Amino acid sequence: MENMIIAENLRKEFKKVIKEPGVKGAVKALFKPKKEIVTAVDDISFTVPKGEILGFIGPNGAGKSTVIKMLTGILMPTAGFCRINGKIPQEDRKNYVREIGVVFGQRTQLWWDLALRETYAVLKEIYQVPDEQYKKRMAFLNEVLELDSFITSPVRTLSLGQRMRADIAASLLHSPKVLFLDEPTIGLDVVVKENIRSAIKKINEEEGTTVILTTHDLADIELLCERIVMIDKGRKVFDGAISDLKHNFGDVRTLEFELVNGPDFKLLDYNRRFKLTQDDIHAERDGSMARVRFDTAKVSVENVVSYTLSTVHVKDLNIKDVEIEEIIKKLYRREVSL
Amino acid sequence: MSRIKRFFRTYKPFTRAGVQEMVAYRANFICFFIGEIMSAFIMYFVWKAVFLSSGSKTFMGFTMEDMVVYLFISFLTDYLTYSDGAFAVGEEIVEGSIAMRMIRPCSFEMSFLFQEIGNRLISAAMIFAPMVVGVEIYRYAIAGVVRFHPGYFLIYIASMLIAYMISFYFNVCYGFMAFFFKNLWGTSLIKETLVSFLSGGMIPLAFLPSGLAAVLNFLPFASLRYTPIMIYMGMYSPSEIAWRMGLQVFWLVVMFALSKLIWHSAVKHLSVQGG
Repeated sequence: MENMIIAENLRKEFKKVIKEPGVKGAVKALFKPKKEIVTAVDDISFTVPKGEILGFIGPNGAGKSTVIKMLTGILMPTAGFCRINGKIPQEDRKNYVREIGVVFGQRTQLWWDLALRETYAVLKEIYQVPDEQYKKRMAFLNEVLELDSFITSPVRTLSLGQRMRADIAASLLHSPKVLFLDEPTIGLDVVVKENIRSAIKKINEEEGTTVILTTHDLADIELLCERIVMIDKGRKVFDGAISDLKHNFGDVRTLEFELVNGPDFKLLDYNRRFKLTQDDIHAERDGSMARVRFDTAKVSVENVVSYTLSTVHVKDLNIKDVEIEEIIKKLYRREVSL
Repeated sequence: MSRIKRFFRTYKPFTRAGVQEMVAYRANFICFFIGEIMSAFIMYFVWKAVFLSSGSKTFMGFTMEDMVVYLFISFLTDYLTYSDGAFAVGEEIVEGSIAMRMIRPCSFEMSFLFQEIGNRLISAAMIFAPMVVGVEIYRYAIAGVVRFHPGYFLIYIASMLIAYMISFYFNVCYGFMAFFFKNLWGTSLIKETLVSFLSGGMIPLAFLPSGLAAVLNFLPFASLRYTPIMIYMGMYSPSEIAWRMGLQVFWLVVMFALSKLIWHSAVKHLSVQGG
């Protein structure tokens, strides 16, 4: 399939003024600023095929937003280049942005003082969307993002959840081929998050829109993306399918159960029973709840469960699949490397 | 032709948004206006004291009547040619919302310009006619003859429009400094006062020592305010009007070119703050 987004050896350096502490330092910085070059993005390359939703993740300050800003033509890369929809953003910004949609979760692109409906009317003119298409588009966006209840309110009076939905609708009004979402679910409650996810999914499925999504909410990633690119300290640390990530990490399961009698927990000794180290199987108790993490390559689910049930009285139990969140936490802490 | 049409179609919505913004903050606008007109009256009383104490009917070639017309037309011109460009550009750069403007398929400064024209249209609609009528009634009451000159008045409007464009590009240039300084608040206070003095807003340039006045007359600041006021008052001969307005156009071209130059170099150094 053709690649919608190509990023090659992207690099971005910023000059930063180093200030020494205190008033003396501030005065010194004013007259003789000491500058340091900070590399925010260091040699990142990846491609996104048409119609894919790519999850772009990394800890705070990893350089995610800087990459997005280069891809959207706001920042000029120090080195390397990107080509999106066959265009280089920095070369012909005005024409390039006609075919992309951008949402920065922490900012709004809506006119603060205008009624939401007016904002859309303004955007319609700016992007020169024909009347007929505009009507259809608004009806569609209304349906997926439920804008009706607040479309006549001024933007400054909207709640965060409403504003985010309105922002996403604004980015989609001109039917972009590529959609950049920088933390579209930041600060939202579960219901609104759910809404926004299903809207993104629907737009991607119905219109084949290519989406790049950065987020800290890993549920977004698990529900929307098949592939992720993970960056840390400006470098790419992982690029591949979520299933690969899980596979590389090892197939770890967690057995959670509730004991009828909490202190019975000491009767269980998984390490001795299966002759495994703490790394391969590890149990812990919190009141009447107990949790056993184990590697299915070393011991089967069946054995662990039957040993547990035959040793203690259990009120309730469930087995959890490995969670991507856990893998990423470990990656962030550099406990594992891929 | 179709290019021009497309141009206006693209930027018209910004003007509309500007008008609506202005309407949303009418109380703010009215208070600002009252504050400005109060300072015009304070200047009036100061000059009245000067005239009374000097004992003569004219002061440096200005009668008290001239002075009043000068003060109020100066106030009107300043108000209508005032450009928020520096503040708006600077603020967007400092807080990073410039990014939101850059993801739109339009020119950066044009979107500002048309948004501001929306603001200015509302202010002009509200104060222009009352101010001019008020000044002319005063003149009539003092002199007993109609001093209003439609020809000079029309040239004044043209000159004021050029002055607005110079003011806009000058402020955009200044606002771009935020790319380098990251914050403009302190320097903008100095700028406002300096521009007000250099453009003849505080004292007519004619009152200054002749050498200094000649230099200031040539600088772009005189084009911002002094030139339109003097045209309105009928102080310039036709040939002088032509030369002054030519100078205005010259400074407009310079400011425009300068803003383009700064923008192109600034974009390369752009570091959007936050996020």
